[in-house]
Amino acid sequence: MTASRSHDPAIVIAVATALELAVNRALELAPSARKDLAELGGTLLAIECTKPEVEMFMVIEPCGSLTIKTYSEVKATTRVRGSLDDFLSLATAEDPAATLINSDLEIIGNSAPLVAVQQIITRMDIDWEAPLVAVLGDVAGHQFAQLLRGAFSWGQAAGKSLRRQLSEFILEEGRLSPPEAELENFYTEVQSLSLRVERLQSRLARLAKRVSESA
Amino acid sequence: MTDDGQPMADDQDTTHFGFTTVKRGDKEKLVRGVFDSVASRYDLMNDLMSAGIHRLWKRFTIELSAVRPGQTVLDIAGGTGDLAAKFSDLVGSDGKVILADINDSMLRVGRDKLLDAGAFGNLHMVQCDAQYLPFPDNSIDCITIAFGLRNVTDKDLALRSMERILKPGGRLLVLEFSKPTNSLLEKAYDTYSFRILPMMGKLVANDEDSYRYLAESIRKHPDQETLLGMMEEAGFVDCQYHNMTGGIVAVHRGIKA
Repeated sequence: MTASRSHDPAIVIAVATALELAVNRALELAPSARKDLAELGGTLLAIECTKPEVEMFMVIEPCGSLTIKTYSEVKATTRVRGSLDDFLSLATAEDPAATLINSDLEIIGNSAPLVAVQQIITRMDIDWEAPLVAVLGDVAGHQFAQLLRGAFSWGQAAGKSLRRQLSEFILEEGRLSPPEAELENFYTEVQSLSLRVERLQSRLARLAKRVSESA
Repeated sequence: MTDDGQPMADDQDTTHFGFTTVKRGDKEKLVRGVFDSVASRYDLMNDLMSAGIHRLWKRFTIELSAVRPGQTVLDIAGGTGDLAAKFSDLVGSDGKVILADINDSMLRVGRDKLLDAGAFGNLHMVQCDAQYLPFPDNSIDCITIAFGLRNVTDKDLALRSMERILKPGGRLLVLEFSKPTNSLLEKAYDTYSFRILPMMGKLVANDEDSYRYLAESIRKHPDQETLLGMMEEAGFVDCQYHNMTGGIVAVHRGIKA
């Protein structure tokens, strides 16, 4: 009997291996994140993506590194089910707990380790200097790392500023989308109108009943 | 018939060695010759021939094994010890990994590689024939045989031998070249196997014949469904297989009842 899998296991395992290598390399450069992860050692997170249909298992090792597998027979501490979009919003969320509650993600088991892992990954402070110093030496490595840090923080600030300005332009200048407060007012008015219509409808029904009884 | 058209005494006494029909007793010696010849460059050639994908196939096989700390794992035809090294980590100090191969050249290369990588303590090496495994009944938790079954003279006998030594509930994993599921891929794969592969063998390992045998032995190996049937015939239950890289390779799993 062929085991039913929608994707070639070799492709899925290649993705898992690449992901595992990248995450562990990043964790090597972020010792505090690795230490925080080590406290969750033994946790198994099952990520079940429904669209595209892929399942992966993230094992947190006692040393704080991650093993990403495509098959596991061990019961997961936490299983999360959802589409790729849902997982991407969770990965980039500033408030993962709120995203978990409000999104379409389905959680089976304990959600605390999942939130903890997401927060550790978001807070990860990667030390670019260590690998650069190892390759370029102390002086050049430090200078290059400073340059990278500068470029990185400028990039972050520029990104934030661009997002803010873009949102201001869309809402205020171009009036391409209504502001949040305006939208909320509109929703409240629609809700109140709908209630009034319902009341009027029942009043009319009562009147119609009275007329038919008197006739 | 043999390659040169001479009739064989009895079909029961013959088997295939690639596309050549040989006496059953001779196959072991011929296969040994191939692996003696390729042992020193086996890992390099594996990486070149599969563009490194053999590592992914092996990794998936290890995942399917679901091996736990404290278990005993037998890696038959373990060659240069790729799977054994990983199993050694997984079973830990309370477990045991046995790297078995019929070929002493391959075992020697495997032993040196594993020792250099610091894998020892729970690792044992055994030179043995997969058809007559020298282990007690019901003594092994998991058996793997990666790219080895096609070289075994009597595959049914080997599968029965594996079933005998597995503990009830223990699993067998057979990772082996198989039949591509797409006809276009099959044609491309044929061209690669019979034209490019022997050329690579000649250039890198100076051994065209051994790599031609590799391509031929793959074509003579049972396809996915046939091997599945053979495993069931040998007494395994809950048998299934996963095709990888379009069926070029398949991993079969069976459980001892």
